[in-house]
Amino acid sequence: MSLAIAGMGWVTPLGNGVDPVWKQLLQGYEATATKISEQFSDRSYNAFRVPESTLTALAPHPRLRRASVISRFAAAAGLEALQTAGVKVDSQSAERIALVFAISNGGVIYTKRFYRDIVEAGAQSASPLLFPETVFNAPASHLAAILGITGTTYTLVGDSAVGLLAIKMADDLMANEALDYCLVVGAEEADWVLCDAYRRWRLLRLAPPIEPFNEKKRGMILSEGAGAVLLARDGPVVIERTHPGMCYRRRSEAAEVLKRILYDLGQMEIDFVISSANGTYIDRAECQALRQTIPDTVVYTPKPAMGESVGAAGLWQVIVGAQALRSGELPPLLHAGLTIPLRTSASRMPVPDAERAIVLSCGVNQQVAGLRLRQRSRPPMISGSIK
Amino acid sequence: MPKTSPGNGKSVTSRVAVTAAGVVSPLGFGLSETLDSLRAARDCITRVTRFSVAECRCNTAGQVPDDRLLKEQHDTNRPKRLHRTSHMMIRALTEALAQRPAFKPELTVIGTTSGGMSYGEDYYRSLCQNGNLRHSPTWVANYTAQKPVIDAQEAFGISAPCQVIANACASGTNAIGHAYECVRSGRYQRVLTGGYDALSELVFVGFDSLQASTAEKCRPFDRDRTGMVLGEGAAVVLLENLDVAREHGTPILAEIIGYGISTDNFHMTQPNPSGIGPRQAMERALQSSRLSADKVDYINAHGTATPFNDAAEGKAVSELFDRVPVSSTKSMMGHSLGAAGAIEAIICLLALQHQFLPPNINFRASDEGVDLNIVANDARPMTLRTVLSNSFGFGGTNASIVIQKFEA
Repeated sequence: MSLAIAGMGWVTPLGNGVDPVWKQLLQGYEATATKISEQFSDRSYNAFRVPESTLTALAPHPRLRRASVISRFAAAAGLEALQTAGVKVDSQSAERIALVFAISNGGVIYTKRFYRDIVEAGAQSASPLLFPETVFNAPASHLAAILGITGTTYTLVGDSAVGLLAIKMADDLMANEALDYCLVVGAEEADWVLCDAYRRWRLLRLAPPIEPFNEKKRGMILSEGAGAVLLARDGPVVIERTHPGMCYRRRSEAAEVLKRILYDLGQMEIDFVISSANGTYIDRAECQALRQTIPDTVVYTPKPAMGESVGAAGLWQVIVGAQALRSGELPPLLHAGLTIPLRTSASRMPVPDAERAIVLSCGVNQQVAGLRLRQRSRPPMISGSIK
Repeated sequence: MPKTSPGNGKSVTSRVAVTAAGVVSPLGFGLSETLDSLRAARDCITRVTRFSVAECRCNTAGQVPDDRLLKEQHDTNRPKRLHRTSHMMIRALTEALAQRPAFKPELTVIGTTSGGMSYGEDYYRSLCQNGNLRHSPTWVANYTAQKPVIDAQEAFGISAPCQVIANACASGTNAIGHAYECVRSGRYQRVLTGGYDALSELVFVGFDSLQASTAEKCRPFDRDRTGMVLGEGAAVVLLENLDVAREHGTPILAEIIGYGISTDNFHMTQPNPSGIGPRQAMERALQSSRLSADKVDYINAHGTATPFNDAAEGKAVSELFDRVPVSSTKSMMGHSLGAAGAIEAIICLLALQHQFLPPNINFRASDEGVDLNIVANDARPMTLRTVLSNSFGFGGTNASIVIQKFEA
């Protein structure tokens, strides 16, 4: 059974819309970091946030009146994916579209506000309006309601590998011939409390840049936004193989697990890899695994340009992979040192004959996943569409 | 080519066996204690002691005792950093793997709503109150929703990929349902599935703020019901391709034969009063199992005891079924959210194995608006072949599974 990408949607710190964001990546732009102050001390963090101008440009919807920004990001990305694929959901088709939502930290802004009220003023101050938005599946529920999806809706929670695990789940769901499409959406919102938590976990750096594959593992910068991929049975970019993924027990085992996944996915010629390197220990694991399995393959990671969006990250990587296959070009890898033992490029890199790409995702909470994309044929670029 | 069912277009290739199960809940540690509690119609709801409930309308919950849960940690020298949800999962998986030691899952599909949430609370409370943050790396690394299942797998050297479904209170049934479909499609031979959740202050206060929880007894489907009480626990079931399991001589506890899911989009926290969401989930589960409603011998209801949920579910059940026995076992153990569907699936397994109807305790009077055959207050012997279990959640997610006694 064939699984293909029929449409995509993107909300990022570099703006929204697949084509505009892709152009910025190709031109080597990096998102602007925003300072977020911690509430209980004078410490501040940098995060790549979705710009206010982008946020105000997102279409409003009555269902999202009280929702946190994560739901707005998700709705915008999901609607763009359907729109670019030319798919309209009506009462007839609603049961034939599944929604799989990938998330890691979820609605952290409202969760923090809700719990802060409890801690500071007691249980009687807890807001019944905020509580429903703290639930992991709140963004998926809003999106399903906006689209009118009445059948299968799943929210998957995990680390930054969850986006690819969601695509794997979608692949399994599409084995059911009663489904025509599966919309896979990943979303995340940034907040100081997340920055603080990742800092204490020793995974965050206080200011950009993210330096991929750097021996010093200086850490990542969190970001926010959403990515959406509409999966169908046919399309110009095929998801040729979804690896079910694995878990590693210790950081030192991550490279070995990645190698096994790369070995499984790399059984044919691979033109480039979209890596999840984000400036943490993951980079070394990915570097080792890539060198030992497909050493001559070009490697790119979008995280130095747009940050670590955790639940959305896997979807962003897939969009990058599909866009690179489609356009025959990879963006410049930002902030990479000269001594990286991988094939990378600090400038735009033509990959005109690229046919296959691996998307690899290694999360910081022990989950790893991967998939292989294949370009069926390269039609001329049509704005906003993958047709 | 796989055969396609004309009813729903699903490719049907494999039968799905439950080959082992394990559970920890307020009803007990393990299948045997759970069975005893069900037969005795034991009320396992107690006063909450884990955090202050002085300002809450509700002050009770179904709780797993820490002294017993953590004693096993000391006995086995497990890392101290693990959240108590991880300990529950390890305990449940220990029981299941004792029945089926050779089981190596290709995939794990598990349901939860909040994982190790109380570690997140510890971290945030310490930040707010300028407290001791020495343990914060442990709290942060172990509060994530997926961590308990990864910890449990690690305890047994399992590295299967984990799909952690967070579909609110339907998560456990969704997880088992999706796992069932993975095996049924022929894509997987062995899937570990189930659900877990532990009590946390944030969630407890959240339901209290919605006035969904009650200060009184939990009385599902009763005319005078006033709300739910929360619970906690973990449950796992091992699913396998039935033919392969039989070839290997693996004992089969039961068969899962159907799964239905629906999304009703009505409201974030309330079901559509028409009962359309639950009704669609049950209809789809029946369609998937190729059974008519009259073949179902018992329904383990979602039955939270909130006025809205029970009315919508009761309406859907009474429209689809003709006086089938119904009970909500949440009356005895509380609502364990992401674990609920998995624990209730195990209750259904026990009911099938031991041929009895689990009770709906604290029941006094029928709701005039809902015509249901409630298994009131006491367990009853009953010949059971096919049972259905419901779970519904925030965001309008609805899930039903159909479980059948295995007949060789």
